[in-house]
Amino acid sequence: MKKIVLLLLLFTPSMLFGDTANFELSGKIYNKWLYRNNDSQGVLTLGNPFWPKEGISGDNGAGSEFELNIKGRVSQYVLATVRLESRFGSIWQDWWENGDIKYDRPNTSGESLGMNHAEYIKLRGYNIRLSPPIPTITAISVGSSDFSMFNSYTIGKSRYIDRDNGKGIFVEGAFGNRDLEYILGIIALPKLYVGPGWSTGIGDPILTNPFYSNDYAYAAKLKYNVSDRLNITGIVSFINDLEADLLDPDAIGARYPDCKDELGNPIEGCEKDHAVSLDYRYRNLNATLETQYDITDRISVNLLLGYSLSAINEKYVTNGVRESQGMFPMIYSKDPVSDAVEKLLVEVVPFEDINYQLKLELFNFGENWTATFGTRREADELITDGFLEGGQLPTLNLANEFIDFDEPFYESCIGWRGVTLLNNLNTGDFTFSLEYTLLTYNTNKQNRDIDNTYPNFTYSEGYTDVDFYDYSNTLDRGRDPRSVYKRNQDRLTNIFVFNSKYIPSFLSRLSLMLKAKYIMDKDGRKITTSDDDYDGKILTLRLSSEYQFTDEFKAGIGYQYDNWDEKNRSSDPSETIYYDYITVKHKPFLSLSYVFGGASIKYYLEYINKNQNRGEQTPHENIFKVFRSKATMEVVW
Amino acid sequence: MKRFLIVFVFCTIFIVSNLSAAELTFDDPAGDDKGPGTYIYPTDPVYKKGSFDITKLEIKEKGEDVEFKLTLNAKIEDPWNSKSWPQGGNGFSIQMAFIFIDTDHKEGSGEEDGLPGLNIKFEKESFWERCVIISPQSKARLNDEIKQKAEKFKDKIVIPKKTFAQGRSLIAVVSKKDLGGFSDKWGFQVAMQSNEGYPDKKDFLTRKVNEYEGPHRFGGGSDYDCDPHVIDILVPPAKGEKGEVDKQYEILKKYKCDPDPSKWEIVRIPMVYR
Repeated sequence: MKKIVLLLLLFTPSMLFGDTANFELSGKIYNKWLYRNNDSQGVLTLGNPFWPKEGISGDNGAGSEFELNIKGRVSQYVLATVRLESRFGSIWQDWWENGDIKYDRPNTSGESLGMNHAEYIKLRGYNIRLSPPIPTITAISVGSSDFSMFNSYTIGKSRYIDRDNGKGIFVEGAFGNRDLEYILGIIALPKLYVGPGWSTGIGDPILTNPFYSNDYAYAAKLKYNVSDRLNITGIVSFINDLEADLLDPDAIGARYPDCKDELGNPIEGCEKDHAVSLDYRYRNLNATLETQYDITDRISVNLLLGYSLSAINEKYVTNGVRESQGMFPMIYSKDPVSDAVEKLLVEVVPFEDINYQLKLELFNFGENWTATFGTRREADELITDGFLEGGQLPTLNLANEFIDFDEPFYESCIGWRGVTLLNNLNTGDFTFSLEYTLLTYNTNKQNRDIDNTYPNFTYSEGYTDVDFYDYSNTLDRGRDPRSVYKRNQDRLTNIFVFNSKYIPSFLSRLSLMLKAKYIMDKDGRKITTSDDDYDGKILTLRLSSEYQFTDEFKAGIGYQYDNWDEKNRSSDPSETIYYDYITVKHKPFLSLSYVFGGASIKYYLEYINKNQNRGEQTPHENIFKVFRSKATMEVVW
Repeated sequence: MKRFLIVFVFCTIFIVSNLSAAELTFDDPAGDDKGPGTYIYPTDPVYKKGSFDITKLEIKEKGEDVEFKLTLNAKIEDPWNSKSWPQGGNGFSIQMAFIFIDTDHKEGSGEEDGLPGLNIKFEKESFWERCVIISPQSKARLNDEIKQKAEKFKDKIVIPKKTFAQGRSLIAVVSKKDLGGFSDKWGFQVAMQSNEGYPDKKDFLTRKVNEYEGPHRFGGGSDYDCDPHVIDILVPPAKGEKGEVDKQYEILKKYKCDPDPSKWEIVRIPMVYR
């Protein structure tokens, strides 16, 4: 007995306490200071477009967040990872806001602003990765994922701030020497954006009970590495947003809960059985086939073919095109809509001794192409600079929110058809790139139904001003980057971009950059008249310079000039009178960077003087004189 | 016509001024991106087959510069959008290569140890005097890493004037002045690694090799830092012959691990001379 007790004493502690040496920890503290010459308070330039009073967006404030990553090797077969992160949104002045209550307006209770200002630590990500001894399976991953294994046309990689929010189960495997690789996934459908009305039922007035816990997406990827130079990748995804069948009397919000119609007559076949049948609210099927062929080390070809099918069930989806002034992330159609994408990219390095690369891209995005779970930002599917510098993505479900003024905007390329020729030359102290893009549109059409079917996001006209973007367009900021459908469109665009960088040999700490961009954008609108023809000439010039004063400290200055000459840019509501706009912007800017001992500090300051001459409208001029700055300090350990 | 002539002359000057003089080429067989023969790529899909498989290193003298062109067995991609990194990047994400140079070929002259995180040493007659770093990271980040982790090598590490990707190649343009001149008699070696933005506190932006692969860890090695954290190297005679595969495995296998670090044996790798 004594021996047993001794043995218990000896072994119990090691059984109770995990081996902390097996905990791999990493942390990060991120600080941000945002200041502008206005009176809004918060630490995020553009916050939630639907809930503008969420309390974190504003142009003046300092905020911080902390992140803790834990990685544990449970055994040789199992890896566990967790990310804990504090809620971002509190500003340094928010002394002792504990998130108990959110009052209508801030008060001195320390409990006035709600959880957004409580800096609570949230479990953001968790993943268990299992490598079972099952033939062909390399790993089974359960939990958080950023979905980067698929692509922008199917299930897109989550934006950085959402990188752990998505959850699912994934099986990865390979045959042979990774000659044939596969990934299968089942993904919980994000209730907040993947579906009609940016939800899987939440907030849809048609539904009493938005039943979202059975909503999943399914995806499969198969990659065949035919040789070292040729691989073929097929990806299929299927989104299935389900609801309780409203004709089932057992369902919450059932249309006929007593199995009697409006006249009180019994409905045949209707019977309560304590079981609820399901019906689909929204379905989206996407498939791509991509071939990468590196013909030689200097010539490569990439061909991507895609197909999409989108089906809305009118019984469960309010028509947001009609009810929300065209603010809807997909085509609202009684019948399923389908379309295709074709994209070919050829890259050639023609000369052995000269670092010159030519890229030719042909692309054709169908007007009805729908990728509701596609990539929302932080990716770029076309080599063109496009209209906006951020990138082009094949979805209407873009995310140009939760960003600061210095972050790029992304635009939808649905309906785009054209060709880009991009030349890159790296020679001596210079780097040049020259782009030409001819762009026409599969969305060119007359009398398109934008009242009930095609979402136009309310504002379709005018070059988008990403410097002064607001969701409700009180600033006359031009086209919404998602607005690809117009009632009448007959559009053709030419884009010219020149980029250069010079690092002189005699002063290699200095770099000089020049960017010049010119867009000729014409839209005949109604083809029956020329009175409404849009003619935009968009010029942007940017000159900047950086100097690395020490190994740690770098400073930069620059100046950007914009001149947008837009004939017939916008109309009055009757669309009979069009106004000419001339927009001139002067933007000097300054950047500082200091990297030392693992800390990274950045500062950016800009002044924008914008004069938007709005033709005969009142007010005639729209003037901005804005100073704004952003500083960040980040440490990772 | 006048404008055309000006442009033509301008372009000709650029091209002529960059025509190369001395040139060296080192070939490496495809499919040997397994370190000592056992290494496995990380499982995340960004690490595509062939991404760390050296097939060729070309070194060209171009005026006042020397260009290093490292060709791999896969198209170079930028899945993590390096241009958007806090300090900016060079247009690729996952690769990182260290080009070690023996400028004097004298026994015992130069640095014996590779840079921190690589876990390699050089053969006695092949210690190195210069190391060119081909990395997607900005100069500022590299300088910071040097200060924190490789201060003693500071004067011997060369950060290129320009680093960029083109097709399957990573290209670094280095000033001859920074390199201390250039000679085709020098010895060269490439340690192929992967860029790790959040490296271990002693590692110079290198990705670890563990016993078992993970989403962002190579597998097939050891959990101790005794195994060489290099995925591919050049092997004499660097002509891309099949026999070089086995030779590489043989060289990189010669490490010994033990819970007691004093008993570790770190591999020694050769330089390749032309």
